[in-house]
Amino acid sequence: MHNTKEKIVLASIKLFNEHGVASVRLQQIADETGISVGNLAYHFRNKEAIVSSVYEKLFDEFRQLLSTYLLTPSFTDFDMQMSGYFEFFKTYRFYITDLFSAEHPLPEIQSEWEMFMNKMILQIRNRIDFHVSRGELLPESSQGTYHLIAESIWMTLVFWIPQQTIRRKPVTEGRYRMAVWNHLKPYFTQKGLDTFELISPVLSQN
Amino acid sequence: MKPHFRIDEVTYSHLLGRLNDLHVTDKRGTLPDFIFFHKDEWLADTAVIEELTRHKGEWQVNLVFAHTNNPMRFIRRQITSYSCPRKASLFASLMRRLAAKDQRGTQAISINDIFVAQN
Repeated sequence: MHNTKEKIVLASIKLFNEHGVASVRLQQIADETGISVGNLAYHFRNKEAIVSSVYEKLFDEFRQLLSTYLLTPSFTDFDMQMSGYFEFFKTYRFYITDLFSAEHPLPEIQSEWEMFMNKMILQIRNRIDFHVSRGELLPESSQGTYHLIAESIWMTLVFWIPQQTIRRKPVTEGRYRMAVWNHLKPYFTQKGLDTFELISPVLSQN
Repeated sequence: MKPHFRIDEVTYSHLLGRLNDLHVTDKRGTLPDFIFFHKDEWLADTAVIEELTRHKGEWQVNLVFAHTNNPMRFIRRQITSYSCPRKASLFASLMRRLAAKDQRGTQAISINDIFVAQN
């Protein structure tokens, strides 16, 4: 059972997703939570405090996601992390406006996003290196190729859900993960293909 | 929001690289990896150095077998321990003479030739 503070944060996330962070009023949050504005003010002194609390939760979850880097030395590890990203970006759909806003009311949030996004790309790049060293991916044909691939994978991870939403197409986890794997498939070695084939039943279950 | 500890991108990338290595270095060894256990002919050309250390209130006798040409190739064996330092010193000397191939001590190296990093 959630306490009132958690309920307020969850209701705010829902409203931020539907209307955007800037256009949600305290009255709406109070109505969604099922409490009075006075009660809301007792828990959070203003909207900025709510926004800050929402981002604290959001970044905590993102930190946990990043900490799942290479827990096991296999393709399934990346697949599991992809599932985590999918859940995350689906839960916090309002992130997209943050990424494109020139000025955020809370500047430290923008710098946090920037750091997390850079870490994501670095993780993907190092993952590729790891699978190259295991002989599952081809060695880099020309310098910088894998960095570009890492950036493309990052773009898919971050922007696949919004692009499907814009085009009113189904947002399913299976397609999301396949969209990412398709970036890497052309670079698989025979060993990589065999491994991928071997684990594909597990991937479809996740 | 509470400020969090941050590391720069280059350090983070190095960190991830080390995490990658973790899966490469921590793999199960193969039989040839353990060959050094059996390849002990070099022990025939070692000088023996006795060493006394204080351990749990007793004087422990250790013998260090170091290769005469390459002192950094050595093994250290704990033999026994005595409560009396004089007795420990006497027995250490006897044990060294017993263990050394060359009892007159012409095959000698100094313990100072062996550098062991303490960090």
